[in-house]
Amino acid sequence: MVVCNFFLQGRCRYGEKCWNEHPRGESRGGGGGYNDSYGRSGGQQQQPRGGGGGGGGGGGGFRNRVWVNPSQQRGGFIQPSSFSSQGSSDWGSGGGGGGGGGGGRRENLKSSDFSFSTQNRFSALNASNAFDRGGGGRRGGAAVAEGTAGDEDDDKKLEVIQMDMDAWESSGQWGFSCYSYFKTSISGFTDLSPEELRLEYYSTRASGDLQGYINGVNQLLSQWKSRVQELKVMSPSTRLALLAELNGTAPQLSSSGFGSTPATGFGSSTSTFGRKGFDAAPPAQTSSFGFPAPSSGFGSSSTSSPSTGFGGLLAAPTQPPSGFGSSSTPSASSFSFAAPSAEKPAASSGFGSASGFSFSSAAGNAGGGFGSAFGAGSGTAFGAATASPAAGAAAVGEATGALFSPESKLTQEELNQFKAKRFTLGQIPLKPPPASMLAV
Amino acid sequence: MSLFGAASTFGTGGTGVFGSTTTDSHNPMKDVEVTSPPDDSISCLAFSPPTMPGNFLIAGSWANDVRCWEVQDNGQTVPKAQQMHTGPVLDVCWSDDGSKVFTASCDKTAKMWDLNSNQAMQIAQHDGPIKAIHWIKAPNYSCIMTGSWDKTLKFWDTRSPNPMMSLQMPERCYCADVVYPMAVVATAERGLIVYQLENQPSEFRRIDSPLKHQHRCVAIFKDKQNKPTGFALGSIEGRVAIHYINPPNPAKDNFTFKCHRSNGTNTTTPQDIYAVNAISFHPVHGTLATVGSDGRFSFWDKDARTKLKTSEQLDQPITACCFNHNGNIFAYASSYDWSKGHEYYNPQKKNYIFLRNAAEELKPRNKK
Repeated sequence: MVVCNFFLQGRCRYGEKCWNEHPRGESRGGGGGYNDSYGRSGGQQQQPRGGGGGGGGGGGGFRNRVWVNPSQQRGGFIQPSSFSSQGSSDWGSGGGGGGGGGGGRRENLKSSDFSFSTQNRFSALNASNAFDRGGGGRRGGAAVAEGTAGDEDDDKKLEVIQMDMDAWESSGQWGFSCYSYFKTSISGFTDLSPEELRLEYYSTRASGDLQGYINGVNQLLSQWKSRVQELKVMSPSTRLALLAELNGTAPQLSSSGFGSTPATGFGSSTSTFGRKGFDAAPPAQTSSFGFPAPSSGFGSSSTSSPSTGFGGLLAAPTQPPSGFGSSSTPSASSFSFAAPSAEKPAASSGFGSASGFSFSSAAGNAGGGFGSAFGAGSGTAFGAATASPAAGAAAVGEATGALFSPESKLTQEELNQFKAKRFTLGQIPLKPPPASMLAV
Repeated sequence: MSLFGAASTFGTGGTGVFGSTTTDSHNPMKDVEVTSPPDDSISCLAFSPPTMPGNFLIAGSWANDVRCWEVQDNGQTVPKAQQMHTGPVLDVCWSDDGSKVFTASCDKTAKMWDLNSNQAMQIAQHDGPIKAIHWIKAPNYSCIMTGSWDKTLKFWDTRSPNPMMSLQMPERCYCADVVYPMAVVATAERGLIVYQLENQPSEFRRIDSPLKHQHRCVAIFKDKQNKPTGFALGSIEGRVAIHYINPPNPAKDNFTFKCHRSNGTNTTTPQDIYAVNAISFHPVHGTLATVGSDGRFSFWDKDARTKLKTSEQLDQPITACCFNHNGNIFAYASSYDWSKGHEYYNPQKKNYIFLRNAAEELKPRNKK
């Protein structure tokens, strides 16, 4: 008889049914002959069987004398890309590649909405993290998996973030939550548990100052909405800021302008001005300020610190509300996070109502008001903020790496550049402009 | 009780005037209702350990009270006793011998309630509300572990007013679980720390969270040799992560799954995503139960990676759940969890605790 070449290589598909001779004594490690009714064999092509069978499927069907250990097989699986497309349709998993690979190993899932994703086989994307997508299904998953280094990758990342924001907004999820993209926390979100909020409500109800609570909550809500909106819209400066965060290159925030707490319902007086860093310091979007961007660049990015000063329990600073306080956003009655964020928080009443707050440190007062302009989403609020540029610059000047450079720190050339109508290529200042030069 | 009384005349009427609408959705699963439930939302549930005969259920609530019921074999629940704090109770736990109950509250204290004498005394003090309390029984020591929003984790010998040990955490403690010798604490800002408790508690590892959003609940699971080997972590985003501490193949063994969402695999309409409020593992089968803000509970088999069952939707979120020591009873509490803010809070709405027979439904799926 003819000796079977495949058998000699260890990969004869027919096993004992093979018409050629299989000389005994050959290695049989890979010799997964399979019964036609099973869709699986050792490392060879996989037939779409609805994911049934898995590695263990070989159990009954193997006529081959060689028992190919399913766990070995699994380890050796090269997950071909064709599998991922099947996988995603079966499991409805967002992570196409990851889901497919995982689905192949497991038996049929009974209910279609139990979708999971295993770690992505593309280890470049961080093997120890669950590679999956919130909300939307199969969209960006495969795309991210295949992205090569560089801009494409970044684009995909940002796309993912946008999708996540979309899903977050429309889903009615709890909004006071931190958010992260693959281990990097995205700044601009405060993490508050429902219990903390509820406790605050109960305490203020006892003390009779419910309105303060309501105002505070609305402020937080509007901050959240504006941040989500920002990330969804993804203006160029937000993009840059985000990418800087994601790549870990953004400078650490100095507390310029942030961290006041409204005294009204919350009773804490955390003074954070002049503090150079926070515990879980989110990076500042200062990079965006160095660019000769129009005022929208200034308005769009916002930095924040993690928690609020509820009842003086927490020492971490809060971001001043973007809605400028007591004028609550139009949808005051609907706490729902899923409410369409039609209102632009910054469009609400102007800077003057900031007097509704009492900021904790005197030096920071103007800085606080000034800084809070950055929490706002639009240029109009920013325009209002320039009403106190001098004070702002002074306060800001204390902090290093601030949003604006004090004039004393800029060289004459840099000042000239800022004064000029346009930047000269090659001489664009790296430092942000002084606040007093802003003409909005 | 009048509410309950009124409901029964409708419900038991069966085909009464209103027909099928009398199936009020507060108990669509037709489970046993615990009598005299607390007057405000239930934050935590705990069943007595196996060292005590019978089943006793403890529930802490936002009405500042902790209540104890005896659950008899025929399903009857008998209210036994109650203790008060000066602030809402956030967590409760039993001592290993079943004689004491520990309660943690927003009033920044934790108390030890001796059930035999019905006396409670303060055993712990924090600078902020205490969110998690667990009893640790080690061969060479026993203590109480409390995790608080003041970012510390403290260990208390109940006889002394000062903590035996105080560990600093990066952020506020949101949830914790203890299965000796492992303890897991999940904090705000997606912090996740594992502690090892042998000899004395120490930080074992800080883990990068597998989830993108706020952590809400955590539960440790054990392997076939009854040793803690990993944990399940739930977030506000309708997702649970199963994480092994030392898996042979982390990329494959750790995974996350979506749950408590409204639309299943229909990706065209935006899903409603609900928080996972609590996770509990069945003590015998190793399968898990999750309860969510959507008012449903689900049973899952994490090894087979399948869902075993999802309940009907209750009209209120389910805030807490718990298995009894032998896994026959599954208790879950239906009350408002503040997931939609204060506008949806109705102090008049009745809160419930239901008991369900869990012996059959939580059997693991056979792996092929």
